[in-house]
Amino acid sequence: MVYMASWDEFVERSVQLFRADPDSTRYVMKYRHCDGKLVLKVTDNKECLKFKTDQAQDAKKMEKLNNQFFTLMSRGPDADLSEVTGKEQTEAQPGKKGRGRKQ
Amino acid sequence: MVLLQLDPFLNELTTLYQNSTDKGSIWVTLKRSSMKSKVQRNKMTTNGEPIEYRCLIRATDGKKTISTSVGARDHQRFQASYATILKAHMTALKKRERKDKKKAAEGDKKEGDVKKKPKRV
Repeated sequence: MVYMASWDEFVERSVQLFRADPDSTRYVMKYRHCDGKLVLKVTDNKECLKFKTDQAQDAKKMEKLNNQFFTLMSRGPDADLSEVTGKEQTEAQPGKKGRGRKQ
Repeated sequence: MVLLQLDPFLNELTTLYQNSTDKGSIWVTLKRSSMKSKVQRNKMTTNGEPIEYRCLIRATDGKKTISTSVGARDHQRFQASYATILKAHMTALKKRERKDKKKAAEGDKKEGDVKKKPKRV
């Protein structure tokens, strides 16, 4: 499998691949600091999608993809991805302090 | 291969990244897993029990492997900390080259000439 040129295509096809076979699809991220290279791979052992980059801006896109895969894998392949963003999500804190009341 | 709790895993992952700055690569794999053997899974399916899936996370530098797993409840907290670690260590990637956008913006400014009011005679 050659490296894919388009990020959007890579994301779309990797999510499709996972949804088609959630049990055997894995997502691998390889980072090599000394060469400044980042390689992403999604495979189900039959098909293999890869994306290679050395750009810092792609790392931000990758963050979003990471979050999408975390959501898909822990919540199930039918999870809704529309709310998954690249931003660091802070979960709604259950232990919020009283409503402005000072103690 | 050690299955760690979330926070020890994140600490170990940080160590892996720190030790690979001069040479070597780090692989991080995400996979959906029930954390059970095939026999157990088959047994559960025949008994009609639902299988709970989690997200298995493995990290390796080629020699040492660490792993952890997150479920539906705690994955958001984990992915935030994970993203922070990645951001802190992926510093060798190239910043975007800026194109000459500034030049184009400056040209437009001086178009609208301020008309002088005609002097009253």
